[in-house]
Amino acid sequence: MTAVIEATSLSRWYGNVLGISDISLEIQPGITALLGPNGAGKSTFMKIITGQLKANLGQVRIYGQKVWNNNQIFHRLGFCPEVDAFYEELNGLEFLSGLLSLYGFRKAECLKLAEQALKIVELQDVKLRPIRSYSRGMRQRLKVAQALAHDPEILILDEPLSGLDPLSKRRLIKLIKELRTKGKTIVVSSHILPEVEAMTSEIILIHHGKILAKGDIYFIRELLDTHPHMIKIKSPQFRELASWLAPEDYILNITFESESQAVIFETHHRDRFFDRLNELVLNSDLNLEEITSPDDNLQAVFDYLVEK
Amino acid sequence: MIISRRFSIIWWKSKMREEILRVFSFYFFLGKKSARTRTFFLVSSVSILMALIIRAYQLAGYWTENGQVIFQNFLMVFFLQFLIVLLGLFYGTSILAEEVEGRTMSYITTRPVRRAALITGKYLAYLSLVSIMLISTVLISYLILNLGRDFRLDDIGTVFRYFIILWLGLAAYMSFFNFLGAWLKKPILVGLAFGFGWESIIQYFPGTTQKLSVAHYLKSLLPQYTSSSGKLGFLFIRLEPTKPGLAVLILIAIILVFLILASLIFSYKEYLFEE
Repeated sequence: MTAVIEATSLSRWYGNVLGISDISLEIQPGITALLGPNGAGKSTFMKIITGQLKANLGQVRIYGQKVWNNNQIFHRLGFCPEVDAFYEELNGLEFLSGLLSLYGFRKAECLKLAEQALKIVELQDVKLRPIRSYSRGMRQRLKVAQALAHDPEILILDEPLSGLDPLSKRRLIKLIKELRTKGKTIVVSSHILPEVEAMTSEIILIHHGKILAKGDIYFIRELLDTHPHMIKIKSPQFRELASWLAPEDYILNITFESESQAVIFETHHRDRFFDRLNELVLNSDLNLEEITSPDDNLQAVFDYLVEK
Repeated sequence: MIISRRFSIIWWKSKMREEILRVFSFYFFLGKKSARTRTFFLVSSVSILMALIIRAYQLAGYWTENGQVIFQNFLMVFFLQFLIVLLGLFYGTSILAEEVEGRTMSYITTRPVRRAALITGKYLAYLSLVSIMLISTVLISYLILNLGRDFRLDDIGTVFRYFIILWLGLAAYMSFFNFLGAWLKKPILVGLAFGFGWESIIQYFPGTTQKLSVAHYLKSLLPQYTSSSGKLGFLFIRLEPTKPGLAVLILIAIILVFLILASLIFSYKEYLFEE
């Protein structure tokens, strides 16, 4: 598949401070999450791929075209900045239609597209209210609306969920997932791992300006064979289960959670563990209530990779 | 080859013009709604209040000169040396500074509009807004100071000439301050020093030094120029005027040169407002 966004050996520094270093990657359609702590270089990367900053070294191409000083690329790209900033004097409809007018749409078309975008982010009821009276959630959704109002193929969303209440977060995650089904390429950054996990499994881990890992979160997890997998099983027979599995050579550690009637196994060989578990379930009256993988999430992968 | 090159130049020009117009309409609308426009409209309206006070003094017999002379002095002191510098400074520097300080830069730099078109369109939008502000206050002040006098056809020409001088001054100051705003992080202080320091002091120096200011060329264009007439004549006693035609050309050159410089800086400079 041809890459939508292609970065080659991107480096950017601010005086003596390193922003990003030697980043090469390809981004395909779908949702890709850019994950890392504050100051990791996510915003620098996003600003370079949206042509707001120039890389000191390397280059970035979108659909094969260079980005820096190529304003025509913005017909195909929408950017949602991290900062909570607006032209506060305007109302939501004026803000969107004003920005749409910069694409060369006629006035009626601007209004139509602005109304559509406001409907998508569920702000049509407050469209005539000044932006300064909007809640944080409304403002965040308005920022997303301005990025998607011209129906671009690529959406770059810098920390779109930051500062939102749980309900607004869920709404926005739903919206981002819907956009993926329409064939869009979405790059979303976050430093909050469960948020990313709720949106996609395709991640780019970035730390100290470098890419630590890239790909499917579960695939990355498999690569980390120096770190054990944790598997939590909830069962009324959790002690028996532990005694049946304890002799196996791939079991590294067993921890009991008596209160919740659960046992946590640590293993280097997840496949062998599950094969044995299947055998036990089939050949005994073992009753399992829940199987989870507490470390099979972004936080665990991230902690392992940065060696916390 | 030549034809295709000419064609591409014409195409580029028309594309650029179209982009400038888009930016112009967006910022003209935004400017109309901004609190700053209301504030500066009030500041400019002070001239009307001052004109009323002067007129009252004139009627009471404390001021003996006719309305034309008083208006010219008023124009010199309030409009030429204060208001257009102030408006040019705050609107000119804000063209980019307000986007940086308001952190809205990414909204405009991620649109399919050239950066040169962005800065030119916004400059023209703000210039138009301030021109409306200026024209209305100048006209009302002129009428107040000349009320009761028989108007002649020449008066329309004179008022029109005042407008042109003020507009050229405003456009030149705004272009220069726009350039400062694109170049410097904190343009206001430098702008204040230039507008109310350098521009005023340099006028008192004889010879060619005074030609290193915008005010010199504006004063050279004033009609019925007298170097020492009126109560405020001392303010322009040292003026050694440039020929009007040349003064106009130099003012136009100042407008264009600084607008082009600001566009170039904006096209290549990165505005790091978050890092």
